[in-house]
Amino acid sequence: MSDRETSGAIDDTAALWAARVDRGPLSNDEQSALDAWLDADPRRLGAYARARAIDLRLDQARVFGADLAEFQEQEKAGPSRRGLIGVGATAAAGVGVAAVLLRDKLGPLTDYRTRKGEIRVVPLADGSDLTLNTASEVTVRYSQAQRDIRLINGEALFNVAKNPERPFVVQIDDMLVRAIGTSFTVGRRDDGSLRVLVREGVVEVSRTGGEHAPVRLVANTRLIAAAGVPPRAAAIPPAEVTRDLAWREGMIAFEDTSLAEAAAEFARFSDTRIVIEDPEVSSRTVSGLFSANNPIGFANAVALSLDLTITADAREVRLGQAAPPHQTS
Amino acid sequence: MARLSDIRAQWIANHVLAHEPALRAFLSARRVVHLEVDDIIQETYAILVGLESVDHIQNAKRYMFQTAKSVMLQHLRRARIVSIESVAELDRFGLAIDEPSPEHQAGDRQELRRVIALITRLPEKCRQVFILRKMDGLSQHEVSERLGVSESTVEKHVARGLRTLMESLRTGGNGGSGASSHSEASSQPQGERRKIHVRSGDQRRH
Repeated sequence: MSDRETSGAIDDTAALWAARVDRGPLSNDEQSALDAWLDADPRRLGAYARARAIDLRLDQARVFGADLAEFQEQEKAGPSRRGLIGVGATAAAGVGVAAVLLRDKLGPLTDYRTRKGEIRVVPLADGSDLTLNTASEVTVRYSQAQRDIRLINGEALFNVAKNPERPFVVQIDDMLVRAIGTSFTVGRRDDGSLRVLVREGVVEVSRTGGEHAPVRLVANTRLIAAAGVPPRAAAIPPAEVTRDLAWREGMIAFEDTSLAEAAAEFARFSDTRIVIEDPEVSSRTVSGLFSANNPIGFANAVALSLDLTITADAREVRLGQAAPPHQTS
Repeated sequence: MARLSDIRAQWIANHVLAHEPALRAFLSARRVVHLEVDDIIQETYAILVGLESVDHIQNAKRYMFQTAKSVMLQHLRRARIVSIESVAELDRFGLAIDEPSPEHQAGDRQELRRVIALITRLPEKCRQVFILRKMDGLSQHEVSERLGVSESTVEKHVARGLRTLMESLRTGGNGGSGASSHSEASSQPQGERRKIHVRSGDQRRH
């Protein structure tokens, strides 16, 4: 028994094979080599399965990449950077919303738009940038006194270069979102509700009518304004902010999201619809990070992990209950 | 010899892997004769791969424990060293499978957070590769282009990272450094083994 290969040595080789499979499909020769290696000791198959399972588990860690980014950013930035943003925002708040209404010489108006499934990063003249989500449109007009953005459709993320002398204002419908040096998204959903999500810094939200005092939103806050009800602002965890912005990378992130909601989210990006008729199925939840323009890939992953049946054609993918499992024990 | 299908690997990833620390703790505390915990674990996984179907398995943890028990029994029969003590140990083994599993509630999220913490502690190059491959979802090929290194270098880093994570799962998720203090416990007298093993996981934390 003493000259037996140690479990640790088996794990070493198993990790190499799992990494090889992680790279892509094996060639026939490689498959034969793997099979030969596995055949020599039953423990090897177990070690290899374990290594593969860990590798697959890591793919599911992707959705938590937000935590990692946050973690690293905090290490890098330290407290001083946050302090500075706070001071800048406070000073600029004194300039007042009135600035929004003071139009001076208007600069040229530029229009940017994306088609469904398209995401576009637009660098702006002052060092700010905006990222347009799927099926979105903005107009940009910079003047001496102000940077005016109008969101016509969809959703956009704004990373604003700090300049207290020249407020950065995004208007959507009758809502004005005013920032100095910060990062935030503004969008309208299909139901007409308006959303603002603040990633960094502080923004001020007001209505064009001006009858309400502006609302200040700090980092990691989401504001939802639907017709007929007062706007609601709520603090959300930083990880959720980053998940919410997964679309910048062409991804959609879910965490305990119902399949019905997930299907609706994919519909924003792709014309291939995900159809779920069974309410029991559509209420089941999913977590993970998925490619926004690949609803079929998403449906396959869901079908596999939730044990659902899947049928697909060019226009739609249907998910349903699998037949009851057959007893093999 | 059974082949490992992607579907079975995924099933193990989703339903079995999380229970490995509990099974290890259990085996370590109740070890009989000269049987290495790592061997039992590997053989247990091998049997789970070889099952024709896993559709009938309602409780993966229970099934994993039962499989490990059958592996032990097989070894004992082969070695013909079934002492009264070891049978008693196996009985206790059987009883414990019915215990509720509080760690099941801890959930995926916590487990994944631990994995992420481990990734952040990998050596620089290895961590870079892991973040691009697993967090950003690039293929190994894309990672190699991004970093300007060969694909086989990327593959090596993935292997090294996986190996570290395999080791950390083995030692209870406290980093991959302490690899082999495990087997020392087997030379201890039976009565003391339990205590010693329970501590060995904690010691590494300091």
